[in-house]
Amino acid sequence: MIKTIALVIFILFNLPGIAQYTGYALSNHPETFRKSFAEATASTESIQSGFSQEKTLTMLSEKMNSTGKFWYRKKDKLRMEYIQPYPYLMILSSGKIFVKDGQKENQFSANSSKIFQQVNRILIDCVSGNMLNNPDFQARIFENAGSFLIEFQPVAKNLKELYKNINIVIDKKDFTAIVVEMIEVSGDKTIIRFQNKVLNAPIPDSVFNIP
Amino acid sequence: MRQFPTRFLIFLSLFILNISCNQYRHLKRTPPEENCIEKFKPAFLLEEYKISVDVVGKHISGLLLIKYMPDSSTRIVFTNEMGFSFFDFGFSQDDGFAVYQIVPQMNKPALIKTLRKDFELVMFRNMDRNKTYNLTDSSIVYHAYPQVKGVNYYITDEQCSRLIKMQRSSDKKPIMEALFYDNFPGKSPDSISIRHLNFKFSIYLKKLVPLASQ
Repeated sequence: MIKTIALVIFILFNLPGIAQYTGYALSNHPETFRKSFAEATASTESIQSGFSQEKTLTMLSEKMNSTGKFWYRKKDKLRMEYIQPYPYLMILSSGKIFVKDGQKENQFSANSSKIFQQVNRILIDCVSGNMLNNPDFQARIFENAGSFLIEFQPVAKNLKELYKNINIVIDKKDFTAIVVEMIEVSGDKTIIRFQNKVLNAPIPDSVFNIP
Repeated sequence: MRQFPTRFLIFLSLFILNISCNQYRHLKRTPPEENCIEKFKPAFLLEEYKISVDVVGKHISGLLLIKYMPDSSTRIVFTNEMGFSFFDFGFSQDDGFAVYQIVPQMNKPALIKTLRKDFELVMFRNMDRNKTYNLTDSSIVYHAYPQVKGVNYYITDEQCSRLIKMQRSSDKKPIMEALFYDNFPGKSPDSISIRHLNFKFSIYLKKLVPLASQ
């Protein structure tokens, strides 16, 4: 009897830990996914797409929307160009970060701050498919008919202070990210949705040039 | 006895320094004007601003959301362009203040206190009518609102037809100046600039298009 009560209590207390995502079930074959995903991402040389970003402030019931264009080239070049609500450019290239905000330009090394280094790596890893190898996070894989959802929970202490978890939805057709969802400790979340993806089209160096 | 001239000179120097440093000393103290400042008070209901912060050579930008809440408090949230929240502050109706969230890198008491006081000035808070007084010169009026430490000034023309600028000051000199651009009664200003005078720290806010509620 005591064992049964203990088991029930154990299950109740662990329910959040085994929480599922609506429409997704925990994958029964995570290793198969990892293998297929690694093969697919190995053949992805570049990605170009548009994106829409939605920031939800839980406490304020408010959404802040942005749109822009996105370029990625193997293995560490990323350009995010925000168009709305105002122009803003960020280029990550070979360990350097360049930011242009209106007339202001800023350039710094991603290694100059551990947190920048980690956030930089998250961004690159999310789109390149290397997130599963990021030691700062622990991953669980869910799936439905059309996509995989990978839930990343931070392991590193400083990232635990910032993010509750980061989820990436992967298209089963081409194993590229469709949605990146960053959930902060406060419950606020940012969802980036990628649209009109073009894979492996050549992207000139000038796109990633840091002046 | 020999030390007397030296001590006297030090005292005299400090006295002269004290007088010369007081930048409000030439102004004449006058009774406060009723209903002058109230008409310049901005109405922040639900506003999204682009925020640019320059602090000792570093530039940070992002979005600043200001929302008047059903409980009459005002929340201010600063996020970067990629959606990451830097801080979430709450200003209650009774002049209370709460930090709902702040990133560890910004969680410094001195920084929080500075931001709190800066926002309080531009939100027209902590304005005790029982303590207020005016300082005037020939053409401008300093509407003074003493704070626990220092004074907040709302500076208008003599006719009170224009808010020229706002100042946070120590007892003797301004330490921060703020300006509104295109501020109309019952609305929020199109732009706000905040500039600290004792160290390199400035904030510039530019209003964006209206937000979409959930």
